[in-house]
Amino acid sequence: MTYISDSRPSPVASRIALIVSGVAAAGLVLTPLAVLGRSFDGNAVLLHLSGAALNLTSDPQVRLPSSGTTVALGWVTLLFMLATLVGALRRERWFWVTGLLGFVTALAAVLLLNGVLGAESARIAADNTLRPGAKRTLRNFYGGGGMNLGLFLPMLAGLIAAGAGLSARQVWWDRLNRLRGLLVPTVAIGLAILVGAIVVLLVQPAVNGTGAALGLWGGWLAKTDLVYFVYSTLFAPITRLNPFLDSLKLATPLIFTGLSVAFAFRTGLFNVGAPGQLTMGAIGAMLVGVYAPAGLGWFLLPLSVLGAALGGAIWGAIPGLLKARFGSSEVINTIMLNYIASAIFIFLIGSETFPFLGREYNMPFKAEGFEARSEELQEGARLPTLLQLFNVGTDGATVMSLGLIFGLIAFALGRWILGRHKVKNGTLLALIAGLVIGAVTWRVGVPVQIAGSQLNASFLIALICVAAFGTLMWRTATGYALRAVGLSPKAAEYGGISVARNTILAMTFAGMFAGLAGTHYVNGGALDEYRLKGNMPANVGFDGIAVALMGQSTPVGVVAASVLFGTIDTGGIDVDLKLEKINKDIVTVLKALIVLFIAAGGFLSRRVTDPPPPQLLKAVETTGKPDAARLDVNLAKAEQGTPLPNVAQSSDAKTREGGK
Amino acid sequence: MQDLLAQIFGVSFLAIFIRSFVPLLLTALGGLFSERSGVVNIALEGLIIFGALTGAIITKQIEPALGPLSPWVGWLAGALVGGFVAWIHALLSIKYRADQVISGTAINLLALGVPPVILAALYGSSTESPKVDYGLPLWGVGELRFSPPVYFAFIAVAVIWYVVYKTPYGLRLRATGEQPGAAASMGVNVRKMRYSAVILSGVLAGTAGVFLSIGNLDSYVRNMSAGMGFIALAALIFGQWKPLGVLGATLLFGFLQALSIQLGGTDLLPPTLVSALPFVVTIIALIFTGRSAAPKAIGKPFDG
Repeated sequence: MTYISDSRPSPVASRIALIVSGVAAAGLVLTPLAVLGRSFDGNAVLLHLSGAALNLTSDPQVRLPSSGTTVALGWVTLLFMLATLVGALRRERWFWVTGLLGFVTALAAVLLLNGVLGAESARIAADNTLRPGAKRTLRNFYGGGGMNLGLFLPMLAGLIAAGAGLSARQVWWDRLNRLRGLLVPTVAIGLAILVGAIVVLLVQPAVNGTGAALGLWGGWLAKTDLVYFVYSTLFAPITRLNPFLDSLKLATPLIFTGLSVAFAFRTGLFNVGAPGQLTMGAIGAMLVGVYAPAGLGWFLLPLSVLGAALGGAIWGAIPGLLKARFGSSEVINTIMLNYIASAIFIFLIGSETFPFLGREYNMPFKAEGFEARSEELQEGARLPTLLQLFNVGTDGATVMSLGLIFGLIAFALGRWILGRHKVKNGTLLALIAGLVIGAVTWRVGVPVQIAGSQLNASFLIALICVAAFGTLMWRTATGYALRAVGLSPKAAEYGGISVARNTILAMTFAGMFAGLAGTHYVNGGALDEYRLKGNMPANVGFDGIAVALMGQSTPVGVVAASVLFGTIDTGGIDVDLKLEKINKDIVTVLKALIVLFIAAGGFLSRRVTDPPPPQLLKAVETTGKPDAARLDVNLAKAEQGTPLPNVAQSSDAKTREGGK
Repeated sequence: MQDLLAQIFGVSFLAIFIRSFVPLLLTALGGLFSERSGVVNIALEGLIIFGALTGAIITKQIEPALGPLSPWVGWLAGALVGGFVAWIHALLSIKYRADQVISGTAINLLALGVPPVILAALYGSSTESPKVDYGLPLWGVGELRFSPPVYFAFIAVAVIWYVVYKTPYGLRLRATGEQPGAAASMGVNVRKMRYSAVILSGVLAGTAGVFLSIGNLDSYVRNMSAGMGFIALAALIFGQWKPLGVLGATLLFGFLQALSIQLGGTDLLPPTLVSALPFVVTIIALIFTGRSAAPKAIGKPFDG
C-alpha cells in the first residue's frame, strides 16, 4: 500500500477485493442462503440459493414461508459479486460500485426475509387454535430465522470491496488511512474466528433433529449452518437490550483489568499479575465492607472502594519494587504473586479453623456453612445497581433518567465550543455546565422494559478509571514521565526521569486498576451475593491482557474490546446451553487466538501496519531522493491523528532482559 | 518434634520429592534450550498442559488396540504435540517477530481454553479425562518406584550438559543466544538454530506433562501443572541458564514443593498458606539472581 499515483485502485486493493468477492461468490453457491426458522436447540430449515429448502427440524411438515424473492435477490447478489470479481481482476475503477450494489441487494434480501418471517410470526400470534406453549415455540422458531453465510458473506465482502475500490481516491484513502490502527485487531479477530470455525467444524457434530442421515451435500450445509449458528449466538447480545446489559456486566471487570495491563504496557512493563491484584482488591473491599464500624454510614462505600484500590495497589507495587530495586522480572514475579494471592484468598474464606504449630486457631473471616464465602457486606458498603441508580419512575415503574446523557452532551458541546474560542479553563467550565445540566434534567426520563439486570455502579467506577487513565497518561507531567520510560528507559534516564521510581509508580497504578475490579464482585454483588465468594473468576485478569492488546493500550480501545469480550462471554453461555459438546470454553480459545494473532501483527507485513510516512514515499517516487520530503503542516497533523503502532510489534526492548 | 520430623522426612518424602522435582527439571532443561538460543519461553506452562493432555488422551484412545504398549505411544505423542505447540511459539517469535512474552502468554491462554473443549467433545466432561488402564510402568524398589520419565530426566541432564558444552550444536546454540549476528557471519543458520531449540523445549516440557498425567497419575486433570512451568522458568534463571545450575535450582524448588505437600498433611502450619511456600521462595530466589548473566540476545528478534 504505497502512495497511489494513478487513479486506478492499487494492486493490493484490487487483490483484496478479488479475494473477498471470490470468497463471497463461492459462499453464495456453497453455503445456505438463509434460515427459514430455527428452534432453541439449533435445528433449522435451511434455504439454498437453488431455492431448495433443507429441513433439519424434527417436524417434517413445518410450514415454510415464501422465499422466492430472497432467492431471486440472492442470484442478483451473486451477479454483482462476479462483476466485482472481474472488475478487481482487471483493476477497473468501477468495482466499488458493484461491490456496494452487492451489499445493497444482500441487505434487501435480509430485510425482505425478515419481513416474511415477521408476517409468519404475526399469523401464528393471531391463530386461536394453538395452545400458548406451542404458539411461543412456533414464534421463537420463525423469530430465530434470518440470514445465513450465503447472505452474510456478500454483505461483508461488498463493503470491503467498496472500500478497496474507493481507496483509489485521495479523499477516501486519507479517511481509510486514519483507521489503520484498527487493522491488526480486526485481522486478528477475523483469523481467530476462522480458526475457531475450523475447530467447531471438527469437534461438533451437525445439528440434525430429523434423525435421518444427511448426505455429503446436506451434511456440509448443516455443518456450515452450525458454524454460523455458533457465531451468531456468540455475538447475539449486541442486538438485544437485556443481553447487552448482561454483557456490559461481564465487561466491567474486564475494563478494570484491561486498563491495568494497558497502563503497564504504556510504561514498558508486562503485568501478568492482574488476577492476583484483582483477588487482593476483592479481599480489601471485603475487609473494609464487613468489618469497618457500622457508624460510618454512607461513608462505608467509598472506604470499601478505597480498600479495593489499596489491596490491588500493594499487590502491584511489590513486583514494581522488586524490578526497580533488584531487577527481577516483573513477568515471573507477578505470576508468582497470583498463586500467592490465590492461596491467601482460600486461606481467608476456605475454612473456619487453621492449625499452627500443633494447635487449632479460629479463622474469623469465613461465614457459617459449607460454602467458601465471607460474611455479608454491611448495607452501607453496597453499590446500587444501575437500574436503582437511574430509575426515576415512581410506584415500581421503570423510567430511566436521561440526566447523565444530557450532562455528557452538554460537557462535550461545551468543551468543543469553549475550545474553539480558546477560553481558559474551558474543560473545567464545561464540566461544571455538564454537571448543572445533568442535575436539572435528572427527573426527565424514558420508560423502558428491563429485566432485573445485575449491572451495577462499578461500571461507572470503571468509566471514571478510564477517564483517570487518559488524563493521567496524556495530560500530566507524571504521565509524560511514565510514557517516556515506556518508550525508552535509557533516554528517559538521561532526561532526568527516574526509571526506578516510575516503574514502581506504574505497577502501583496498574495494580490499583485491577484491584478496583474487586468492587464489581464484592460491593456490586456480581457473585449473586454481596460477599467474597470462592467462585470469583480470577481468570478475568488474564483476559485483561487480551483486552489491552486488542484496545492498543488506549482507554477507549480497552472499553471497546471489553464490551466485545463481554458480549461473546454472554453469548458463550448461550452456546453452552444450546449445543451439546460445545462448551463455553470455546470463547477462551477465541480470546487466546486473538492474542496470538495480534502478537503476530495479524500476519500482516510491517509495511502495511506501520508504513513509512507518505510524503517520504512520494518524494522517493517523484525525485528518487528522500531529501525532497519536506514536512507539510497538514501532513504532520494527519500523522498525529493516526493511532499509535501496535504494542506487540514495537516492544523489542520491553521483554525480560531486553529492558535493561 | 522428633516424630514430626520423621513423619515429614521419611522414605515417602523422598518419593514425593523426586516426583515433584522431575517435571520441574525436564521443563527447565527445555527452557534452557529455548532461552540459550535467545527465545524467551513463558509458554512452558502451556506446553506441559498440552503434553499432559495429549499423553492421557492418546493412551486412552489406543488402549484397546495396543494394550500395555499404549502409554509409550502416548508419551511419544505428548512430546510431539509439545514440540508442535512450541513450534507455533517459534514461528510467531522468529518469523513474525512477535513479542516473545506476549506470544508465550497467548499459548498459556490457549492451554486454558483448548483442553476443556477437546475433553468435552471426546468424553463429555470438561475437567478431566477418563482414567487410563495402562499407565507408564513403575520401575524401582519398595516405595521408591518411578515411571521411566524419571530415569529419562536424570540421563537427560548428563546428555544435555554434554550437548551444550561439548558438541558443535551446543556451541552454535550458545553463540546464537549471545551474539546472533556474529554467529550468522560464521555460517550458523540462526533461525534454524532457534527453531530447533524452541521445538526441543516443547518436546521436553511435553514429556514433563506426560509424566504428570500418565507417569504419576492415570488421567489428565484440569490445571494439573499448577504453576510448574513458571517455577521451572524461575529455576532456569536461578540456575544461571546452565544445565548443572538448573539441576541444583530444580532440586531446591522440588524440595520446597515436596516439603509444602508434606507440611500440608501435618498440623504444623495452615496447609493453604504452605502451598504458597514454593512461590514465595521463588520470588526471594529471583531477588538474588535478578541481574544475572542472561543470554545477551534473549527476547530480541533476529534480522538477517
